[in-house]
Amino acid sequence: MMLLEIIFYVFASVLICASLGVILFKNPVYSAFSLILAFITTGLLWLLLEAEFLAIVLVLVYVGAVMVLFLFVIMMLNINIEEENSGFTKIAPIAIFLGLVIAAELIALFWIQSDHFIGEASFSSSDISANNTLLLGTEMFTKYILSFEIAGFILLLAIIVSISLTLRSRKNVKKQVARDQISADPKKRVRMVDIKKGDM
Amino acid sequence: MVTLQSYLTLSALVFSIGITGIIINRKNIIIVMMCTELLLISVNFNFIAFSHQLQDLSGQVFVFFILTVAAAEAAIGLAILVALYRNKKSISVSELNTLRN
Repeated sequence: MMLLEIIFYVFASVLICASLGVILFKNPVYSAFSLILAFITTGLLWLLLEAEFLAIVLVLVYVGAVMVLFLFVIMMLNINIEEENSGFTKIAPIAIFLGLVIAAELIALFWIQSDHFIGEASFSSSDISANNTLLLGTEMFTKYILSFEIAGFILLLAIIVSISLTLRSRKNVKKQVARDQISADPKKRVRMVDIKKGDM
Repeated sequence: MVTLQSYLTLSALVFSIGITGIIINRKNIIIVMMCTELLLISVNFNFIAFSHQLQDLSGQVFVFFILTVAAAEAAIGLAILVALYRNKKSISVSELNTLRN
């Protein structure tokens, strides 16, 4: 049990430091890397809670797809870092005060009402052969099948929306338009002229 | 002993850090979106901790759906950001006052 405590507290402090780094770095690229570290640490902590499938999904989907998308956008947008961070300290005391109040309220809620959270988070309860992915898939494809299909529809919607927001049609570009080519009327393009013999 | 309260306290700390980051940042929308991801991750942490405590898989199913919606949200948000930068040449939060008046 001692080893689990050490692992938990080490990764918890890494997670706190990484999420502080997200908001404290001036360069957004460093913030993105710090967020990647926070996601990986969260995945490792989820492994402690026996959520193996979601830990792997978090690393694959978030670190592999979403954060790469973030880095693409950051590097594409060519932001002037020195200028962009000039007004940082003006509302910083209010923000830190609000954050501390929220943290104090939440933590006080958990520790004052502590008799509702009886017992240790049991690590040895489920047997080693329990397959988290199998159980989660069974649950998802039977009880939550409608929600699953709605989630797929939301992803399709995200594809359509993000393409239609960023796609722009340029003017003054020579390109083929198949619709105009097909619907062209040959009678307007070719003019038949009768030529008499004497005109030559 | 790692109790449920330890996990909940950790997620509360991450949540408050995310909220602080949203309020503190007036110059860069990308950081605001990253802080939104931090908030979602801390909420997912609560779901998984309770799912483990109660030995109920419904919490993990919810986390799966939240991850799906968060990925869609990040994609649409970044697309809006690109369109915004194309029009205003800036991604500063304090310059987004087109809807004022």
